[in-house]
Amino acid sequence: MTASQWHLDPDLVRRYADGGLGSVLAASVEQHLVSCPDCRTLLDPHVGAARLDTVWADVLERVEQPPRTVLERMLGAIGVDDPTARLVAATPSLRGAWIAGVTLVLGLALVAAYADPQGVGLYLVLAPLLPLAGVALAYGPAADPAFEIAAATPYSQVRLLALRTAFVVTTTMLPATVAGLLLPGSPWIAVAWLVPGLALTVGTVALSTRLAPHLAAVALAVAWLGVSLRALAPRRDPLLAVSSPVLLASALVLATAVAVLVVRRRDLAELLRRTS
Amino acid sequence: MNTTIHATGLVKAYGRQRALDGLDLHARTGVTGLLGPNGAGKTTLLRVLATVLPADAGGLRMLDQDPRDPAGRRHIRRRLGYLPQDAGFHRGFTAFEAVDYIAVLKEHTAARARHDEVRRVLDLVGLADVATKKVRALSGGMRQRLGLAQALLGRPEVLVLDEPTVGLDPEQRMRFRDLVSDAGRGRTVILSTHQTEDVAAVCTDVVVVKGGRSLFTGTPAELAEVATGRVWVDDARDPRAVAAWRVGAGHYHHVGDPPAGAELIAPSIEDAYLLLLGPQAGEGMGEVA
Repeated sequence: MTASQWHLDPDLVRRYADGGLGSVLAASVEQHLVSCPDCRTLLDPHVGAARLDTVWADVLERVEQPPRTVLERMLGAIGVDDPTARLVAATPSLRGAWIAGVTLVLGLALVAAYADPQGVGLYLVLAPLLPLAGVALAYGPAADPAFEIAAATPYSQVRLLALRTAFVVTTTMLPATVAGLLLPGSPWIAVAWLVPGLALTVGTVALSTRLAPHLAAVALAVAWLGVSLRALAPRRDPLLAVSSPVLLASALVLATAVAVLVVRRRDLAELLRRTS
Repeated sequence: MNTTIHATGLVKAYGRQRALDGLDLHARTGVTGLLGPNGAGKTTLLRVLATVLPADAGGLRMLDQDPRDPAGRRHIRRRLGYLPQDAGFHRGFTAFEAVDYIAVLKEHTAARARHDEVRRVLDLVGLADVATKKVRALSGGMRQRLGLAQALLGRPEVLVLDEPTVGLDPEQRMRFRDLVSDAGRGRTVILSTHQTEDVAAVCTDVVVVKGGRSLFTGTPAELAEVATGRVWVDDARDPRAVAAWRVGAGHYHHVGDPPAGAELIAPSIEDAYLLLLGPQAGEGMGEVA
């Protein structure tokens, strides 16, 4: 670049250095500074180390702060604060692979239901297991690579578990309910699995005070498959998978789990330490 | 003496096996090295000190608080940095996001101040340049430094580091020791290792652990003195030695009770360590010869 024929007024340079010029004037001063070494020497004494540090920190803040994930932006939009959004975004089961898995399972259940009326039963058996699996993969040493570090931080482990469970349940129950509405037959099917689904999820959290979360989930999943498939098998009526005896049993599990959590809420933190 | 950690008679059992069997530990400002073979109970002890695992019995006070009491535990956690063995991070996160996530758990809530703190610790461990790289793209040495970075968040008074030099190549290990030495100024660092070189390089105090108990507590120089008069070289291997291995020029280096007239040499930390551990400790080294 060639040196300019004209030069900046020293006072203008000082005001530019202080950040006191309007953006239009600052831009044209900057344009000149880039091409004129003489004026840059004029600028030097006005720029202190402290101001450079602030500017550099601002630059880094923009450059290194990666664009927030879709999930974090959605959480922000519904009023979740920034640190909480970061904690939820770190939930292992809320990452891409999990969402793809949920979609695949629901898609398969839909295909099965349209291929054969009895296929609806598959949906009713599988749907309650989705939030269960999500919760099992949301917390604990088996699911979370940073679990051991997190366990030594002052942030409440109970709160972290509750926070993640709430988001996993919401994000799996919504698509599962939408898929249910797309099923042939009664729209009641779309909500018929909610009670067993909740019972399994809350049951997992309650059982996590005794077992590692993933083991608690496996135990309950096996129990659920046993009960629902047995109810489904003899008469091949899909709704039997979540029919009254099953619903009743689910409601009982739910009530027991809630009672366990209420009674033991004070030692939950202590119990979580022991199962980890 | 400014003691920050007082542990007496710590017991922790897994089923019938006692990982900690009445262990004592007193640590002050500086770097205290826990030296012991695999399975000595080092990791269990560090997990207890990091408040992740409750001890079954024994007394423990850290920073004048009792970790069994929830309020005391929270108080300790606010002033603690912990680097577990095999520290993991979400591999899809960038280095910046991984440390930022831990910063949130450490109650740094204001976004801008938190980000500045994350940048400060990344800079301290020399990872400022890779802040925007994904964790899965970092080398093993870098990930280990990332682990140290998160432990340094909020300038903790106690730093618990579990085998931080494992898996690092010699150059990385030297850099890491410098970082730990720097971190040990003005705070209490507990560092577990099975490498005597780590102790010689960075520790102000050392505790030798075996079978869930502490066999020795003192400075590295005091540890070496334990083997004074019990290290000798000879042209042939002496089967009665606690440990013996071949050194340059066909000589054998022995640790144990020297025979009369043996050529005694000045002991090192390693000699004292092998002597304390007893006969089975030397097996691995003896095979080399």
